[in-house]
Amino acid sequence: MSRNKIFVVAKNEFTKRVKTHWFVITTLLGPIVLVTFFTVVGFITASSLETTEKSITVRDETGRLATELVDTSGKITFETTQASDDDLKTSVLNKEVSGYLVLPEGLIEGTASASYYSTEGGGISNFSGELRSIVRDAVRLTRLEDQDVSRDVFDAITANVSLDSIQLSDEGEEQGSTAAYAIVGGIMGFLIYITMLIYGSVVMQGVIEEKVSRVVEVIVSSVKPFQLLMGKVLGIGAMGLVQMSFWAILIAAGTTFSGAIIAMIAPADAVTAIDGAIAGAPSQAEILESIGFTVPDLGPEVFIFFVLYFLLGYLLYATLFAGIGSSVEQQQDAQSLMIPVMMPIIVSIIFLQAVIEAPNSTLSVVLSIFPFTAPIPMVVRIAMIDVPWWQVGLSVSLLFGTFLGAVWVSSRIYRIGILSYGKKPSLKELIRWMRYA
Amino acid sequence: MPILRVEGVTKRYGKFVAVNNVSFEAQPGRILGLLGPNGAGKTTTIRMVTYITVPDEGRVMFGDSEVSPVSQENMGYLPEERGLYKKMKVGEQLMYFAELKGMNRTEAREKIRYWLDRFGALEWVNKKTNELSKGMQQKIQFIATILHNPKLLILDEPFGGLDPINAELLQNVIMELKDEGRTILFASHRMEQVEQLCDDICLVSRGEIVVKGALTDIKRQFGKNTVMMDFEGSDVFLDELESKGAVRLGSRSTRHAELNLLGTTTPKHILEVALPHVSNITRFELVEPPMREIFVTAVTKQQGEQAAATV
Repeated sequence: MSRNKIFVVAKNEFTKRVKTHWFVITTLLGPIVLVTFFTVVGFITASSLETTEKSITVRDETGRLATELVDTSGKITFETTQASDDDLKTSVLNKEVSGYLVLPEGLIEGTASASYYSTEGGGISNFSGELRSIVRDAVRLTRLEDQDVSRDVFDAITANVSLDSIQLSDEGEEQGSTAAYAIVGGIMGFLIYITMLIYGSVVMQGVIEEKVSRVVEVIVSSVKPFQLLMGKVLGIGAMGLVQMSFWAILIAAGTTFSGAIIAMIAPADAVTAIDGAIAGAPSQAEILESIGFTVPDLGPEVFIFFVLYFLLGYLLYATLFAGIGSSVEQQQDAQSLMIPVMMPIIVSIIFLQAVIEAPNSTLSVVLSIFPFTAPIPMVVRIAMIDVPWWQVGLSVSLLFGTFLGAVWVSSRIYRIGILSYGKKPSLKELIRWMRYA
Repeated sequence: MPILRVEGVTKRYGKFVAVNNVSFEAQPGRILGLLGPNGAGKTTTIRMVTYITVPDEGRVMFGDSEVSPVSQENMGYLPEERGLYKKMKVGEQLMYFAELKGMNRTEAREKIRYWLDRFGALEWVNKKTNELSKGMQQKIQFIATILHNPKLLILDEPFGGLDPINAELLQNVIMELKDEGRTILFASHRMEQVEQLCDDICLVSRGEIVVKGALTDIKRQFGKNTVMMDFEGSDVFLDELESKGAVRLGSRSTRHAELNLLGTTTPKHILEVALPHVSNITRFELVEPPMREIFVTAVTKQQGEQAAATV
């Protein structure tokens, strides 16, 4: 009978929310927002790596280097000048030139350093790195010439050296591009982070609303606070699953047809390659590979664990959020109590990059096993590498155990909190509530 | 046989004793008034009866067994601080409350129609709560309390926010439910209503029971010690009587007074003092004290005693 009441509450929470405009809008717009977000991030990253065309004025005091300054990408052009520093400074400040480069005497011998003046300061941007390597190449070439070494030797030395990284798994097979796995892992980790927080705060809002509208006293005269808490968390979790399943279907449909879509907008030579391949009924992967993108071959277990970790992470945090929500009357009052609960999630997001870079490091292993941080790093690792079974098993059991512990703690705070009005309690008072019979 | 027996119940929050060794019974077909000043422990007592909290000592019996999730399904509780889900429709909301009480949907649907019709609210079934007036919401809340045919009804200030017409409608329904043999626990500060509705009284102050029993018995115990007086002319005689300590004034207006006789004061003495001042007396009656008088006397007596005990 007690399970039955949890179901009644969960069903009400679910149907009530699925019917709202909020649900319909976020379900339909979620993928668009997400794709836009990742596109914008990708675009910004890409454009920050790209140097826009720049014209730089050079005063070459060595008299030998200016002719050797060559940017292979053709983005940076150099103009020589003999103007004084003062004149050059004025023209930079007047935005007549983007910056000027001074190559002093002694640069070739290594006794002086080149200087670049601009209004942007240089900093650690990609541009200053590029400029440095252009100047360095010019200086090195001149130094070699002084030693009577031919230009061919220089070209031979600086010829491109590339390194492909190939990952070996237990099955001994080599997999595709590790970068693609890292991207998928990162996106999954990020999705868990976003959804856990959004659905968790929906639960908290629901708890606060029930308390402030004073419906809660009638409800707890019919069900135990524990049942109300669990019903709420499960009902909103079910709503989240429905929403995410819908998105998953959209994404699956998107990737099925993405080849054709990319083919339409891809460069002409790539399309020819696809045309040729279509004759032999090409697979999705083949189409994408023909334009230079490796589709990571993810097993179903990656998605199973994604859903499992999302659920466990959501259950843990939503339960804790509900406990906090029950003790306050306004969202803002919850803020200070949220900080200790949010810390582990924030830590796991801060270390997301580190986990992607070294999924087998001690840090990654510890973060993916410690229950409060586990969901995000573990999903990233599972997407990228073969995580040992004992680690997954330990992580899942610890997470589930912690969830049960959180239910115990939260439901004890909750049953006092939902009926307490007035001053917002301190952390100390919450601990005292847990001890009441 | 009483359906509800509260047996020696004590509830503490930290060092604060909210309810101290309280015992009372509620009989089917009778209305028990649970009275007391603010902070006396009424809400805590009700929460233990409704199994929202559990007592530290003593027990609450419902029928033959202690209160439990089962007894909750046979109780309807209308709290003083009450509310509805703002964005849910009236019908959905009532259905949810009914399901929480363990009703099946078919039966619940029928009951919802019946009661909405009874309160002239059938056309609101698809309206959201936040579109309803406060009085309308009150009616919906009352319906939610009685939908599942509870044996025990707990009504905390049920008339708050209702206009006289709707208050009368509600009162009729309450009396009807009482006549059907339900047990009703009625908590209120409105003493005229208590007097009108209640068969039994349980008055708590500072977590303890100070007066308990059938309303008529309690009144008889206090005896006919109150003069109800309607008059015309000056009312300075009231101040004169009060300053001499002969009476305590209950309610008082320009033409009406309720005088509680103190010590050896007789009705005759009051008449003698009044006559030189008033131009006419239209009513002069010796009656049992009104409920408000009993309330004030009992509470001041107990709190005075406690205050004395701490010195």
